[in-house]
Amino acid sequence: MQSKLEKVVAGLKTGPRFLKELREFDNLVKAIGECKSKAEEDRIITQELELLKQRLSDPKLDRSRGKEYMIRLIYCEMLGHDASFAYVKALQFASDPNIHTKKAAYLALTQFLDHNNQLVLLLVNTLLSDLKSDNYLIVCTALVAATKLIGADLVNAVYPVVVGRLRHPKEHVRKKAVLALHWFGQLDPRREGPLAGVELDKHFRTMLCDKDPSVMSAALCALHECIRSDPRPYKNLIPSFTSILKQVAEHRLPKSYDYHRFPAPFIQIKLLKILALLGSGDRAASENMAAVLLQALRRANSSHTIGSAIIYECVRTITTIYPNPQLLAAAAESISPFLLSPSHNLRYTGITALAGITALNPAAAAEHQVAVLDCLEDPDDTLKLKTLELLYKMTRASNIQVITDKMMGYLATCSDEHIRRDIVRKVSDLAERYAPSPAWFVSTLSEVFRLGGEHVDEGAAHRLVRLIAEQDAGLHGSAVEAYLGLLEAQGGEGAGAPSAAPKKKLPETILLVICWVLGEYGHLARRPPAAVLSRLLSILSSHKAATERVRGCLLTALTKLAAHTGGAAGPVGAALLQPHGSAGGGGGGPMGREAAELVHQCLNSQNLELQQRAHELTTLLSLPPPLLSSALPVDAACEEFSAAELAEVATLPFLDPLVTRALAAGAAPYLPPEARGAKTGEAQAKGLRFEAYEPAPYAVPLASSSTSYSAGVNDARLHLGSTSASTSTLAAAASSHTAAAATPAAGNQLQPQLVLKSGGPRKWGPAQYESEPPSQHTAGHSAGSSAAAAHGTAAAGAGPASSSAAGTTTQSGGGRHSRSGSGSAVVTAQNAERERLAASLFGTAGGTAAAAATRPSPAHRPQQQSQPSNGSANASQQQQQRGTAAAPSAMDLLMDLDVPQQQQQLTAAVGPASGSGR
Amino acid sequence: MIKFMLMVNKQGQTRLAKYFAEFLTTDERRALEGEVVRKCLSRTDKQCSFYEHRQYKVVYRRYASLFFMIGVDDDENELAILEFIHCFVEVLDKHFGQVCELDIMNEPEMVHYILDEMLLGGCVVDTNKANVLEPVQLLEG
Repeated sequence: MQSKLEKVVAGLKTGPRFLKELREFDNLVKAIGECKSKAEEDRIITQELELLKQRLSDPKLDRSRGKEYMIRLIYCEMLGHDASFAYVKALQFASDPNIHTKKAAYLALTQFLDHNNQLVLLLVNTLLSDLKSDNYLIVCTALVAATKLIGADLVNAVYPVVVGRLRHPKEHVRKKAVLALHWFGQLDPRREGPLAGVELDKHFRTMLCDKDPSVMSAALCALHECIRSDPRPYKNLIPSFTSILKQVAEHRLPKSYDYHRFPAPFIQIKLLKILALLGSGDRAASENMAAVLLQALRRANSSHTIGSAIIYECVRTITTIYPNPQLLAAAAESISPFLLSPSHNLRYTGITALAGITALNPAAAAEHQVAVLDCLEDPDDTLKLKTLELLYKMTRASNIQVITDKMMGYLATCSDEHIRRDIVRKVSDLAERYAPSPAWFVSTLSEVFRLGGEHVDEGAAHRLVRLIAEQDAGLHGSAVEAYLGLLEAQGGEGAGAPSAAPKKKLPETILLVICWVLGEYGHLARRPPAAVLSRLLSILSSHKAATERVRGCLLTALTKLAAHTGGAAGPVGAALLQPHGSAGGGGGGPMGREAAELVHQCLNSQNLELQQRAHELTTLLSLPPPLLSSALPVDAACEEFSAAELAEVATLPFLDPLVTRALAAGAAPYLPPEARGAKTGEAQAKGLRFEAYEPAPYAVPLASSSTSYSAGVNDARLHLGSTSASTSTLAAAASSHTAAAATPAAGNQLQPQLVLKSGGPRKWGPAQYESEPPSQHTAGHSAGSSAAAAHGTAAAGAGPASSSAAGTTTQSGGGRHSRSGSGSAVVTAQNAERERLAASLFGTAGGTAAAAATRPSPAHRPQQQSQPSNGSANASQQQQQRGTAAAPSAMDLLMDLDVPQQQQQLTAAVGPASGSGR
Repeated sequence: MIKFMLMVNKQGQTRLAKYFAEFLTTDERRALEGEVVRKCLSRTDKQCSFYEHRQYKVVYRRYASLFFMIGVDDDENELAILEFIHCFVEVLDKHFGQVCELDIMNEPEMVHYILDEMLLGGCVVDTNKANVLEPVQLLEG
């Protein structure tokens, strides 16, 4: 304040013009402070920029006011306007002898530029001389600027000077020099570029022992970053870190580092973070730090938020390092006040911490079920989201249905793209791991597609299709009905309220799945095939902008549907093959006309794939019925192929005579795609090419036996089943029958692509589980987990499916019991509802235990079997998350730790509830 | 790692913005600040002081008409950041004497210098008030 007063007095002395200019800054601040709208603010800043341009280009620029100009520029940039005209001016002011001007100029530069900006090159000389200045304030300013502005190409110029500053007498300089080096390290994290051979961390280790705590704290920041990228070289620092933490927690630092009477909390938290990184997956290291962690946890108390922050960080560290039962118990105990706290912030942290503990000890969440349910129903989005994350971590086969319901409920209301994507990923992940039955899996995934299809990755769609294909006719039928219903809902809405708000379109992924399912199994529908046909066609009318991919799949689906329902003579076939332009005389009425219209359009489509599929459709349907049914067999997507058959498909021996004939007639020999690539690469290297381009491979009309080889790989995979089936069966027929369509060149082209597609003979089966990273636990465990995950597919037989189904029934039985019990003691319906939810979320293992105690039912054995497998799946997931290579013994210990303990605790927790029921 | 710090009044006007460890163009900043501020202002006292936005977690705290927001990555301890904001405000209080929005507007460079002492390269470096204020007060003298 005083300095400003002096400035005003000085301004008064120098005369009226100066006075007017002096007030420019105050006026600007006043104007910005008073403006009411963004538009007004923009106008003020635009004016200001004009004024600044004028002032700064004035040759009689008053250099003593450089600081003020810089600050005005910072304002302009901060409020979102480009002030790049002044960057060079700021560079000039940086070499101003006046420290105020210099500091302001450096500040402006750090705000305006980043380390990739070419202008920084002009600053290096100034920066170097400032780094060597006698005034430590200037050295500090230069170091701060270097921390932001020096890029990889300039590091070498500055590095030696900065290292020299590490021995500066002033601790402020040393602190900033450490962080400047830290920044340089981030520019070249692998020490391969400009910093090759430089041992930055040696400096950091030295500075860790600096006598000033603030320099030590800076070194901690730097080391934290190094350890994050690779903890191994720093394991020997663990004793140093633990001893520092011990001393800090014991209040050995000067009082000035206290914050609300907590000793240097930010240093403690930094140390805890470092210890977590060092201890993760390392048993010996974790044991060494256990005592100190416990001490830090005990010394912190939640009397003030910062104490809670330390507790929270301790819990995070305890759940990240190699699990220690004593520490975990202490951690679980210390977070209970968080969950019961009225403060949303503490509950949020409590839930986050609980999620960490639950991952190691699934029983932990059950103790806090009331709190968890409260958070789940809280209007606060952030809290709800965190709670869903916790539920995700505690999902088991028994409570999956409730949890996915909750997630889906949130998905339906949420609009944030990032969160939606995250939830979709989680639900499909959970569904694949714990689905109680195939039917549930199918309906859940379809629902996910409907709600958030734009975020589903194609892999999930493939797995869904594959799973449907593996099931029996009953499920096929129900899937068909479900999808018909889905299409109906779309069509119905559209017809009922055409003027209403634009209805949500089905995402492309689910449309592809629907097309495939209805094509393959449409004949199982409980309604006439013509109705199925009309539903399929309604896709076109309700999704005007249906992509060509969808159209292509639709055509193939129609082909299959027609083939399965009586061929060309059947209702669908007749509708499809109607001559174009005839007024629906044949069979289908308006709908038939629509179908024929589609086929006709596609026959003349610009898109070659669509054209090809349409031609296939007409050709296939004109085949005699026996040939047609062998080309498109009913329910053959799951067919097994022998290796010999696959080899035959891959090499296409029946085409050999054709190829020899073509070669004899002078056709070019076949070139594998790699060779072709090399050839074009050469041509490109030479620059201009003068010879004609060879025809693009996909432009060649292919034999009708291939359904979609020119389609994208993903697309082809979607209906791979039908394709390979038809190829193999058609193989014999093809040479006699459709060879006319296949030019020799096409035969050549066809070959490699076929190898590509069917090269990995993807037999139907639970192969998705093989793609999981190989687990280190014993074969028994992995078999168990895959069985639990395999939703009772053919491989696992009916065992797991029935067991998990039994699990849910016993569990829901328990829920009902407790509800009726509480009903007698007058409790509101809402409470009962909550209790039921709690029971279905948490009470599962308790239900199992109770069932085991009361009646040794046949369902009991498989349940036990699935219990450890869940534990191991959880644990392995946990380990993958941490990205550490834990020794197999870790797993064993986890198993030993968790399972019995968990059951005990759960019976204790849920005992009263179920007891009241009985 | 701290990614950015914003000071915004309850009308949504930016009073100070500082970015760490990553550089955004003027337009990107404008868009980000707009979204972050809108989300923050729409929250009530009954909600917790954290929310997620894009890849950031935003921790905010309100002092009279001024919101202090800090965007952090996933690794950061939200409660500690919340307390860091308070610590920063305490330092400002000590320097300005009952800091208010107008102080920050009139002397933004001082706020930047103080922040430079406390936060560097996205890390909390120093929270010792005497240490932080020493160079700043030398500058004033």
